[in-house]
Amino acid sequence: MRRVFRNRAVGAILILALVATSCGSGDSAAGEPITVGSFNFNESVIVAEIYAQALEREGYDVERSMNLGNREVVKPALESGEIDLVPEYIGTIDSFLGGSPTSDAEATHAEAKALYEEQRVTLLAYSPAEDKNAYVVTGETASTHGLATISDLEPVAADFKFGGPPECPEREFCLQGLQTLYELEFEEFVPLDAAGPITVAALEGGDVDIVLLFSSQGVIAEKGWVVLEDDKGLQPAENLVPAIRLEVVEEHGIDLTSLLDEVSQKINQEDLTEMNKRADIDGEDPAVIAGEWLDENGY
Amino acid sequence: MVWEQVVEFLGDAATWSGPGSIPGRLWEHVWVSVLATVIAVVLVFPLALWLGHIRRGAEVAGAVVNIGRAIPSFGILVVTVMLLLELGVSVLSVWPVLVALVALAAPPVFTNTIAGIQGVEPATVEAARGMGLTEGQLIARVEMPLASPVILEGLRIAFVQVIATATLGALVAWGGLGRFIVDGFSQQNQGKVVVGAILVAILAVVAEIGLSMMQKASTPRGLSPGIRESPNVS
Repeated sequence: MRRVFRNRAVGAILILALVATSCGSGDSAAGEPITVGSFNFNESVIVAEIYAQALEREGYDVERSMNLGNREVVKPALESGEIDLVPEYIGTIDSFLGGSPTSDAEATHAEAKALYEEQRVTLLAYSPAEDKNAYVVTGETASTHGLATISDLEPVAADFKFGGPPECPEREFCLQGLQTLYELEFEEFVPLDAAGPITVAALEGGDVDIVLLFSSQGVIAEKGWVVLEDDKGLQPAENLVPAIRLEVVEEHGIDLTSLLDEVSQKINQEDLTEMNKRADIDGEDPAVIAGEWLDENGY
Repeated sequence: MVWEQVVEFLGDAATWSGPGSIPGRLWEHVWVSVLATVIAVVLVFPLALWLGHIRRGAEVAGAVVNIGRAIPSFGILVVTVMLLLELGVSVLSVWPVLVALVALAAPPVFTNTIAGIQGVEPATVEAARGMGLTEGQLIARVEMPLASPVILEGLRIAFVQVIATATLGALVAWGGLGRFIVDGFSQQNQGKVVVGAILVAILAVVAEIGLSMMQKASTPRGLSPGIRESPNVS
């Protein structure tokens, strides 16, 4: 008698477990949840949080995959559907898709959008805010060697150590571009992080002479560092733009896209730099920074 | 695809000479592993020897190895990096890696030394005392030789773990063989990742075999074949 009861109890628990696991996670009346992802640097997390929280405040079901990695990791994740939305940059994504980005934002955006739609991902409206690769030296280095533009590096490059993220030597707008367009050969490439605290500390401590940072980072001005001017125009237009899977757009329609477009329009260059400063220098939480920006902008 | 990347990576001249080359990273990896293990031994061996000799602290030894295993090396690494950044130490310094690896190597050495010494038959120790050996002579000529298989086992476990874990250094801008794994991942070059991982594995196996042989060679002839099991069952 006891054994029969125990077997039935086990059976009931197993069936319950089967039902519970097959229910999946978070399907709600708002439809499938939208997974928002970001790259592995503060600005990306902040902007992704802005989109994520804006969606949540409008009643959408949102899941997060922040700090996933660099584009080599994030792009496949978006294309395969592991994430649905990620804040991209028009120039670099156009280049990754095989296009030819220029400083013309409109044309670059149109080309990138057409190319990406072949892979069932679209780009919505782009933001006025940009973030380009910036090649940065300390104030002393700039004045000692008379450096104002990237071309000025030519006589000293062989004695300079270059610090950047590990993917930099393989990137068209990073070391590869400096080698082909500017014909610069540095003494050594030192792999650090993606314009994060390790890169900042390395330049400050003199472990490297020049680093890759991002043009919208507040830390550059804070430390009195110098961004070398891109006199040969290596960097294309790099406006922020949400990359989103077409399936999600088709499911949610114009309500979703017009919300995201509106948010993108409101993110301006000053706001972006200010938010970056709060995250990079003051060490504030990107999610909190994003929430406060949304509060201030009427969401 | 991966195989092609492996061949391409191994065929590139830069892979074999210069600072980022396989020999360069291999050397970095080996000397840091050796240094960390040596520092760990210097730090904990004397204390463990003494505790073993006075036959105290067996429970502490057990707790130390359990807690030691639970502490995440990556956590120690990042905390140390952040601490050193505050103090203005170079971000490329080897200190965070050393600290994390010493913390990893110390528990097995500590615990196996205590257990090894305490595992020596008390009757043997008493007999030696009866023969007039001083405490120091007792430790050096009786306890240590008899405990040496277990002590060397602890050393072997520590060293192999350190070799495998030194790969974490690449996550905080240090070098070593982990560099191929981390950079390969960033560049989506699976060939690099595979080469890095295999090199670490080979290094660990070579160390394991080498120290095993040393362990056997240094077991005193008079010791019976049934050597006491060490508490570190690996």
